[in-house]
Amino acid sequence: MAPTLPGIGSRSEATLALNMRLLAQHELQGFGGLGEGMAMQLASDGRRILWLAHESAPKNFTGVDVTDPRNLKVVVQTELPHANVRSNSLDVVGNTMAVAYQTSSVNLKPAGFDLFDISAPETPRLISHFDASGPHSRGVHAVWFVDGEFVHMAGGAADFQPRNPLDDQCYRIIDVRNPSKPVEAGRWWYPGTREGDSAPPPPRMRAPFDAGYRAHNTNVYPERPDRAYVGYIDGGAVILDIADKAHPKLVSNWRHSPPFNGFTHTVLPLFQRGLLVVADECIRDKGADWPKLVWVVDGREETNPVPISTLPMPSYDAFAQRGGRYGAHNLHENLPLPCSWKSEQIVLGTFFNAGVRAYDIANPYQPQEIAYFVPGAPPMSPAGAIQLNDVYVDERRIVYTVDRFGGGLYVLEMTV
Amino acid sequence: MPSASATAGAGRDPLAGRLPVTILTGFLGSGKTTLLARLLRHPGMNRAAVIINEFGAVGIDHELVAASSEQMTLLANGCLCCTVRTDLQDTLRELFIKRRSGEVIDFDRVFVETTGLADPVPVLHTLQTDSMLSAQYRLNGVVTLVDAVNGLESLDRMPEAAKQAAVADRLVITKTDIAAPVAVESLAQRLAAMNPYALISYAVDGAIEPELLANIAPASATAAAPELNRWLSSQASTEQSDAGAYLGKRITGAHDAAISSFCLWFDRPFTWETLNAALQALTALRGPDLLRVKGIVNVEGETGPVVLQGAQHVFHPPVTMAGWTSGERRSRIVFIVRNIPRASIEALFTAVAGLG
Repeated sequence: MAPTLPGIGSRSEATLALNMRLLAQHELQGFGGLGEGMAMQLASDGRRILWLAHESAPKNFTGVDVTDPRNLKVVVQTELPHANVRSNSLDVVGNTMAVAYQTSSVNLKPAGFDLFDISAPETPRLISHFDASGPHSRGVHAVWFVDGEFVHMAGGAADFQPRNPLDDQCYRIIDVRNPSKPVEAGRWWYPGTREGDSAPPPPRMRAPFDAGYRAHNTNVYPERPDRAYVGYIDGGAVILDIADKAHPKLVSNWRHSPPFNGFTHTVLPLFQRGLLVVADECIRDKGADWPKLVWVVDGREETNPVPISTLPMPSYDAFAQRGGRYGAHNLHENLPLPCSWKSEQIVLGTFFNAGVRAYDIANPYQPQEIAYFVPGAPPMSPAGAIQLNDVYVDERRIVYTVDRFGGGLYVLEMTV
Repeated sequence: MPSASATAGAGRDPLAGRLPVTILTGFLGSGKTTLLARLLRHPGMNRAAVIINEFGAVGIDHELVAASSEQMTLLANGCLCCTVRTDLQDTLRELFIKRRSGEVIDFDRVFVETTGLADPVPVLHTLQTDSMLSAQYRLNGVVTLVDAVNGLESLDRMPEAAKQAAVADRLVITKTDIAAPVAVESLAQRLAAMNPYALISYAVDGAIEPELLANIAPASATAAAPELNRWLSSQASTEQSDAGAYLGKRITGAHDAAISSFCLWFDRPFTWETLNAALQALTALRGPDLLRVKGIVNVEGETGPVVLQGAQHVFHPPVTMAGWTSGERRSRIVFIVRNIPRASIEALFTAVAGLG
């Protein structure tokens, strides 16, 4: 690699931008460390509220009025009951919000999810709590709630004893049609991961990459209500037939690790194009688990997913040592909701210290990077660099992205 | 000829994603170096990358330099200045790669200085034929400097100088302070005759506003009609379709007779087949003599006007604009050609339309 130009090299304090313009940033009252829950509510008074789950205690979630994307206003910020729980994930349908709770170890509470009535955004009202705690459960890591009827989630359960403690969160479907009384409709776990399974335990990833066979994102879309697209961490990408929610059945499993380093996070179907976009998550600093990629997978034959390309990443040399993690994480997931942008041509993802990046996959064999925004390191960031964690694009094409540590919310305009 | 799709809600703007490249050209002694030296120091040049032939020539003082390496210098105003590496293609590639990895500033436009003797057309080709470059950059325009003292003579004696002026989108007459006003005026007339579609401006001691060099070509597929017309030139947009005689009156010197420029208007929309066929026949037969072709074309079935541009045998991928923003839907194509009679090109298009 060519030597870095002294003084103008890849300094983490420098902002890098291509075809994205910063409209506003908000540090959320000093609690700018955010998880991977971002959802937009169109309130009955016409305001647009962006709901954000915090990465860790003490804060639970924050609602930000983004009606004017250049003039952000925090409308509410809530607290968690103790420091050993994090919310991390949330989703909103209409005026109902589901918020996940994951504890730092098993047998703690609250571990599950809450449903809130957010008709009055300033004063979220708890409707119910779904308890997923248990002697082997850390609760719920991620929720998917887009139809107002079912919460699809990665969660443990009181009666779920994994063979390996890392495999505690399976795919669970919770019926919330009566929001005051959520009940489980069904679940699926990777064969061999539960105590008593007849299948043998699946092979572990080699150290230090063994992160577990458990669900992460559990996406279900109205185009295929009988399918769940699940990132199953070290289990790879999983497609499930959920026509009978009580008995989900495996359709296919594309597992690319090893040789890659595991942690499949998101499986985003692009139905019109017969494609799946599969994102892994980087979980180690300084490039230690490089490469963590976003894959474009030919999904025309759902029983035989075939990878055809990856989204081109900027140079390892320039970013691996820039501070914190460098690699893929969340995608904008084309939520089937009125305030979500939907595109089957442009894919946006966050890549921790490489910021938020947009790709044109019109030619799925040769994705092109078309835009990016890498904020300069937020002040006092423990990573010493930006760590963009999640991204959400509203139907106005405004891009919202959040830092894992102190940077808070960045609102961007995509000019491409 | 496939057309890049215009911005739809879920799609991509075929123009906005690319970094604009402006070619600065001009014959030896035309004042390029003086203009560049001034331009580099201009506060409006922050976030610009300038590719020059050599550092020494533009005289960058030490105190202006924020950081420097063998090939690149970051100036205090934020302008990134670099010398051509092995060739322009490599330099543009390397710049983009370094930009992406954060090794250089996130420049938002590029200026390229050509050497005095250079034919700018191959530079245009570089942007069109290298797929990495054409994905990341777009041609903003060609700016040609002509000095008021020696310009006329250069145009007369040096075919390269005439070509540089002929392909320009903007012409800058320099050294007007030391030339006789009558010389300035006759040069302006001469240039207007050669290339009536380029806007002419004047610079003394290299003083020019970066704005004048920005936004020559439309920066987005959502650009409205006035912006498109400005790119094609107001001349072409107001000219009548029977402007041959008008053009004829402007031609003053025998030496330029080889280079002529005209705008053809077409009342009926093209089909992609007829447009393709006409341009292919033209490039196959007379490619080297098509110095520059720029058009705003109505193609059946497209959502908006199609922007067309090419030089010699190479055309950019046509770009369809997001919509029609004016009542004028006739196609118009500007041709700057060498030794091709207007009537021949008209006849070719007529023949192709008749067969299509």
